[in-house]
Amino acid sequence: MVEEDLKIEVLFPETANLYGDTHNMVYLKQCLPKAEFIETGLADEPYFVENDVNMIYMGSMKESTQERVIEKLSKYRSRIIELIKKNVVFLMTGNAMEVFEKYIETDDGTQIKALNIFDLYAKRTMMNRYHEMQIGEFKEKLDIVGYKASFSMSYGDNSEGYFMKVVRGRGINDECEFEGIRQNNFFGTYYIGPLLVLNPLFTKYLIKLLGIKGKKLAHEETAIEAYELKLNEFSDPKREG
Amino acid sequence: MKKDFKFYFAQFSSKCVYGLIKFVKLFKKSLNGSHYPGKIALKFDKDFLGKIEKPEKIICVTGTNGKTTTANMIIDALEKNGFEVLNNKLGSNIQAGIACALSTGATITGKTKYDIAVFEVDERSSIKVYPYIEPTIILCTNLFRDSMKRNAHPEFILDIINQGLEGNTTTKFVLNADDLISCQIAPENKNKVYFGMDALLTDTTECHNIVNDFANCPKCGSKLRYNYLKYHHIGNAFCPNCDFESPEAKYLGTNFDFNKMKYSMIETLKDGKKQTEYNLITDSVVNIYNQIATTACLKEFGLSDIEIKKAFDDYKLVESRYKEEDYNGLTIKTMLAKGQNAVACSRVFDYIKTDSGNKAVMLNLDDFYDAKTSSENICWLYDTDYELLNDPSIKQICIAGKRRMDHYMRCLIAGIPKEKITVCEYEEEEPALLNFNKIDKVFVLYDVYTIPMAMKVKEGIKEQVDIILEKLEKNHVKISGNNDKDLTSEETKK
Repeated sequence: MVEEDLKIEVLFPETANLYGDTHNMVYLKQCLPKAEFIETGLADEPYFVENDVNMIYMGSMKESTQERVIEKLSKYRSRIIELIKKNVVFLMTGNAMEVFEKYIETDDGTQIKALNIFDLYAKRTMMNRYHEMQIGEFKEKLDIVGYKASFSMSYGDNSEGYFMKVVRGRGINDECEFEGIRQNNFFGTYYIGPLLVLNPLFTKYLIKLLGIKGKKLAHEETAIEAYELKLNEFSDPKREG
Repeated sequence: MKKDFKFYFAQFSSKCVYGLIKFVKLFKKSLNGSHYPGKIALKFDKDFLGKIEKPEKIICVTGTNGKTTTANMIIDALEKNGFEVLNNKLGSNIQAGIACALSTGATITGKTKYDIAVFEVDERSSIKVYPYIEPTIILCTNLFRDSMKRNAHPEFILDIINQGLEGNTTTKFVLNADDLISCQIAPENKNKVYFGMDALLTDTTECHNIVNDFANCPKCGSKLRYNYLKYHHIGNAFCPNCDFESPEAKYLGTNFDFNKMKYSMIETLKDGKKQTEYNLITDSVVNIYNQIATTACLKEFGLSDIEIKKAFDDYKLVESRYKEEDYNGLTIKTMLAKGQNAVACSRVFDYIKTDSGNKAVMLNLDDFYDAKTSSENICWLYDTDYELLNDPSIKQICIAGKRRMDHYMRCLIAGIPKEKITVCEYEEEEPALLNFNKIDKVFVLYDVYTIPMAMKVKEGIKEQVDIILEKLEKNHVKISGNNDKDLTSEETKK
C-alpha cells in the first residue's frame, strides 16, 4: 500500500467532535499528508457505502446526536459488518463506540436501539459523570494512556474482544477489567480526545495496520517525550485518577 | 415555603459560623470559607433557600463566560446609583454561596435587610437554585463548551438550566441574540428580551474556530448561514432552507469607535428606535458583549440612560482578570485565560493575535489543583484555537508547568515553528528566556487559581528589563568614555 492510495473517512465531523476528538484526524493527516481524508456530514451518504475505504473514524458526540447517528447508520448495518470482516480499520472514540452496541438505556429506562453489531449495551445516567485518567495494555510493551469522561458505561462480556486490558482505571464499567471493543481491526474505546496524539506508539501501529511501513510520525520526538512523561505520571499511584 | 424550627436553627447556625469566620479572619486573612455559612444552613435545612425571605428584586447572572464580569458590572452600576445591593461577589456562585449571601443579608429570624440582590449563578447549580428563587431577571451571557469533566457539552448545561426553570412564569429573561444556544433557555416563557452586537469589520460569514456547537438549523437540520459571525457560533444566523433565524435584538450595540472608546446602543421601542451613546470600557469583543448585556439588563431593571452612562463613566475591569502596565518601554499584559475552558482561551488567543505590535506570550495555563494532586485532562487543548498563536506578530511563546510537553505538542500541531517556542519546567524560569530584542509586548496568561504565580512572572520580566537597561547603561558609559562615541544602539542590536 502506498500512502497516496489511502482513503480515510471521517464520519460527521461537524457534530461528532466533542472533547478534542477531531484532532485524531488532524494529527493523522499531518502524519499521512498524502492520504485522502473524506469528511462526511450527517446529511450526506457515507462514502463507505459505495466505495472501499481503508479506515473510518468517528468521535464523541452529544447524546441527541448519538440518536441521529444511530438512525443514520442503521441503514448501512450490513455494509459496516462487511467492512469489519474485510479488516477495514475502524476507530470509534468516546460514546461513538456505543452506536455499534445493542442498545443504549436512558435514565428513564427507555432503550434506544443501536446497530447491534456487538453484544454489549450502554446505560446512560445524565447526572453521573464518569471521569478518570487511564492506562491500558494494548499489547505487550504498548500501553495506551488517556482520559475518559462520559455519562454512560457499557455492559456485557467483552473479554473475548477488548481494546485494552486496564492497568489503571475501569474497563467499560466499574466491574470490568477490559476497556473497549476490538474485532478484527475495529477499535472502539471510551477514551476521549486526541488519542492518536497522546499515544504515538499506537498511532505507529495503526499506520502499519493501514499498510504503511516505516513511517515517521509528525513531531515524533516531542510526541514520544510527552507520552513517556504522561505514562510515568499516570503510573504514580499517589496521583488521583 | 413557611419558616419552621428547622429553618430558624439553620439560620442561627449559619449566622454563628459567619461570625466565627469573620473573627478568625481578623487574625488569618487568607482564610477561605466564602460559602461555609450557606453550606451549614443547607445542611440543617435543605429547603433553606425557599424559606428565607428574599429581596423584592433579584437579578441572576449566569452563562459559561463573562458572568462574573457582568454581575460585577451590574452591582457596581446599581451601587453607583445609590442602591444597596446584596450579592455573592466575594463568595461562591453555587447553591451554598447564594444561601450564604441570603443568610448574611437577613436578620436572625430570616427577614431580609435588602430590597435588591444580584447573584452570579453557576449554570450547573440552576437546578438547585431556581426552584427556590424566582428571579425578577435572569441574564444569560452565553453558553459554550466548558470543563469537559463537569459540563460535558452546552446542550447538557442548557437542559440543566431548563430543568431548574420548569414552571417559572414570572422571570424576565435577558438573552444573547447572537448565541443561539442560550436563546433556547426557558422555551415556554415568552417574557424575553435580547441583546446583540452589530457587525464588526473583523467579522466573517464562516466559522474559523475548532468549536462551533450550533452549526445546523434546529428546525430542518440544514447548515446555518451567517450574516455576520464573530467567533465560534456567536453571530447573526439564518437557515437558508426554512424560516429559522436569530431573534431580533431589542438592545443592539453598534457604531463602535475604538479610538474615542465610544459605542451606541440602539433600543427598539414600541414606537420606534432610540439611539444612545455610551463609553466603551474595553476593546475586547467578549467584554463588549458583557457591557452590552449589562446595559440591557439595567434598562430592563428600570435604570435611565443617564444612570447607566454614569456607571460606565470611569469603569475599570477587575485587575485580577486583566492588567496592562508599561515598564520602561515594554508593555506587560497579564490576562486571565480560564484553563480547561477552550472558548475562553481561544478568545484570549484571538485578542493577542489582533493586538498591535510584536509580542511574546507566556502560556501558564495548568490547573493549579490538578498539577498538585492529579494529572490534568488535556483534551481541552485540542478544542482550543492554538492556531491563532501561529501569527507573524507573535515572536515567542514560552511554555512552563507540568503540562508543558502537552502545550508544546499542541503548538507544533498548530503549525507554530519550533524556533519560536521556549519550554521550561517552572514558570519562574520564563522571564530569563525572553528574547526582548524582538518584542514590544509580553502577555502573561494564567488560570483562575494561579494569580500569584503570574505576578511573580511579571516581576521577573521587570527584573530582566532592569538587567538589560543596566547593562546598556554600563556599556554606554564605557563606550562613551573610551571612544567619545555613542554606540548604544549597536549594543542594543547585539
